[in-house]
Amino acid sequence: MEERIELIDEEKHEVQGLWSNVFKRLRKNKTSMFGLFIVLLLIFLAIFAPLISPHDPIAGQLSLRHDAPSAEYIFGTDSQGRDVFSRVLYGAKISIEIGIISVGIALILGITMGIFAGYYGGIIDIIVMRIVDIMLAFPTILLALAIVTILGPSLVNAMIAVGIVNVPKFARIVRSSVLSVKENEYVEAAISIGCTDFQIITRHILPNCLAPILVQATLTIGTAILEAAGLSFLGLGAQPPMAEWGSMLADSRGYMRQAPWSVMYPGFAIMITVLGFNLLGDGLRDALDPRLKE
Amino acid sequence: MKRSLTLLLVLVLAFTFALVGCSAKTEEPAKTEEPAKTEEPAKAEEPKEKILVFARSGDSVSLDPSNATDGESFYVARTILDTLIDYEADNTNLIPGLATSWKTVNDEKTIWEFELRQGVKFHDGTDFNAEAVKINFDRWMFEDNELRFPGENFEYWGYMFGGYPGIVKEVRVVDDYTVQIELNTPSSPFLNNLAMPCFGIMSPAAFDEYGADIFKNPVGTGPFKFVEWIKDDKIVLEKNEDYWGDGPKLDKLIFRTIPDNSARLLELQAGTIDMMIGVSPDDAQIVEEDPNLDLYLRPSMNVGYLAMNMMKKPFDDVRVRQALNYAVDKQGIIDAFYAGLAEPAKNPMPPSLWGYNDSIEEYEYNPEKAKELLAEAGYPDGFETTLWAMPVARPYMPQPKEIATALQQQFAAVGVKAEIVTMDWATYLEKGQNGEHDTYLLGWTGDNGDPDNFIYVLLDKDNAVVGSAGNVSFYKSDELHDLLIAAQQEPDQAKRAKLYEDAQVIIHNDAPWVPLVHSTPPIAARKAVKNYVPHPTGGESTFWQVDIQE
Repeated sequence: MEERIELIDEEKHEVQGLWSNVFKRLRKNKTSMFGLFIVLLLIFLAIFAPLISPHDPIAGQLSLRHDAPSAEYIFGTDSQGRDVFSRVLYGAKISIEIGIISVGIALILGITMGIFAGYYGGIIDIIVMRIVDIMLAFPTILLALAIVTILGPSLVNAMIAVGIVNVPKFARIVRSSVLSVKENEYVEAAISIGCTDFQIITRHILPNCLAPILVQATLTIGTAILEAAGLSFLGLGAQPPMAEWGSMLADSRGYMRQAPWSVMYPGFAIMITVLGFNLLGDGLRDALDPRLKE
Repeated sequence: MKRSLTLLLVLVLAFTFALVGCSAKTEEPAKTEEPAKTEEPAKAEEPKEKILVFARSGDSVSLDPSNATDGESFYVARTILDTLIDYEADNTNLIPGLATSWKTVNDEKTIWEFELRQGVKFHDGTDFNAEAVKINFDRWMFEDNELRFPGENFEYWGYMFGGYPGIVKEVRVVDDYTVQIELNTPSSPFLNNLAMPCFGIMSPAAFDEYGADIFKNPVGTGPFKFVEWIKDDKIVLEKNEDYWGDGPKLDKLIFRTIPDNSARLLELQAGTIDMMIGVSPDDAQIVEEDPNLDLYLRPSMNVGYLAMNMMKKPFDDVRVRQALNYAVDKQGIIDAFYAGLAEPAKNPMPPSLWGYNDSIEEYEYNPEKAKELLAEAGYPDGFETTLWAMPVARPYMPQPKEIATALQQQFAAVGVKAEIVTMDWATYLEKGQNGEHDTYLLGWTGDNGDPDNFIYVLLDKDNAVVGSAGNVSFYKSDELHDLLIAAQQEPDQAKRAKLYEDAQVIIHNDAPWVPLVHSTPPIAARKAVKNYVPHPTGGESTFWQVDIQE
């Protein structure tokens, strides 16, 4: 947010007004505040996981295998005798990383493609949007599977795959916003005083497309975490012994009868996290909707 | 208002999930009772039809066992086809099969004469006789035989007899019920090899009828006849009324494929299947406590191991290989993943076999010593490597990925950082045979109760050929090779045992593997299943005596 404000200093005052207005409206919406709370809690846990977690998430003691939840191991232990609570905490760290990095990849590629298509139009628009259409023709998880299979199974490759899969969403949103924004008088004014395309795009168009991108990014973080967990569950994402929620589920699902806690908590963590991002995203959408401006 | 309702709904949903998780245990008894009730009327309608549904994790590859190498194929084929010689119900002592007696007829012990059982008919009604035996053997041993259909290569004949035709010179028909097999050199494991399920006798008429489709239309002399095969679902067999031996007591025998261990156990508890192999050791206790189920233990004749690729650095250094041996806590692994149904391995062959060298001193669990050896070898800070783990549960290793994770931790404790690598089963085996790995988890279940079947196949330099290696350590020792060849040709079992004991000393000192476990695979069946006897080779030829009595 701050970066953006620096970008357009002449509009500083008005922009601050917009964002405080948005936050005011967001605050009225209790479910999205709940989402925001979950997201902030998650970020807090992710940053302080090494300090909070009572045990090593990687090194276990085989002799303590499948211990039921107790004061010492509040979420119990898994099949390798590792503390499930510590692993869930470290999993938050990995999931946040996955969410931010893969959405970052999707944003960079998607925004670039969307701006080229929307701003220049014509043949560029046709080519870029047909590529996007082709990508949309594949079911997301299938496309991600194919990409990871080509790159080889690892967490980094899973992030890349999830990022690429989400590119079309951003490309389409950015293109449509650019199409409407570039008709505005201030863009015409910028063109008439001889601004370069780069200046026009970065100073005038992009800042005004930000609202839908922000909403989409928040929602996509949730799905990205879910998709990466799915890849890890299939053994194509995080590799053992990494504490990743999806791979924790996959490792423990065979022990659902002996140690239900080793499956339940990582599953619950995924659910809560995705829920948090979705609630926040929905709330942001409502708060940023210009039709709801008073 | 609408929002808080949504929130409430979400919380209720979450709470329900938590409840479902907690109440799983209390619900179980109810589950097992219900299907039992619905099943009774069905059984009452046709009281005479006895159907046994047997479930396992993988489907057969081929129903012509001579052309298969996997245990799942043998498992079914040995109930359809008979071999000349058979094993006793629970060990590998030899008993008559399609041959009633056998003897050598020359002093060099290279010509064996078999008297065949008379009056035996194949499932298609044709007679079993000496000509049928010759046709089968010729098909396996000669690469230019006209009954070798496209895609058939009979790997196991090559493994056991050293090529095509290998040590077998000729098979002769003496009269209708006498057959002679002449060898190039005397071979002690020869009779045991003939009892292996891969050498089951097929009907010659069926070769003409089905041609290359013989692998899905087996016609033998066994207690059960083939009915249908739905790939990856089930194989249906029915009673052979004219079986030459006793029984069979079952009217139908159905082999179902259910890949997931826990799903299979749930079906067994629900009563939709009668028997299963591949019980997770963790579930063995559940089976034992279930009043409707019996737990069987297959006598142990296997080994699970970690092979170190000696073609690659740093595993060309014996100190590194010994260091990894010292780094592994086998007992810890067994307690955690085998529920006590295994014992730690120190040799490449199981203690249940003759020739096992019990005087060998195991590399004990000693991380300090491992670090010392690594430092001596020039790796004071350890090194990075890969640890290959198979993707499927095997009898000797029911949870390979878990075991790999445990090994990864134990190696990390001495400074060796291992990355776990896994891929699909066929690729895993292929890449292993090509020697693409650094360290590689695998195991072996004995086929015939002869030490040759372990040590020669898994560690001799003859089998360390890149591309088709059984010896995935690529361990090449001339000293060991000489001992093993001498042992193959030595007729006296006591002398052979001595040779194998010496061989194990060499292997122990060179440490091409970290031998991990000899497991006792658990099997579960409903109480109604009677007379089932698990066989150490991993498959039973005694299904004719199995019965269902409700």
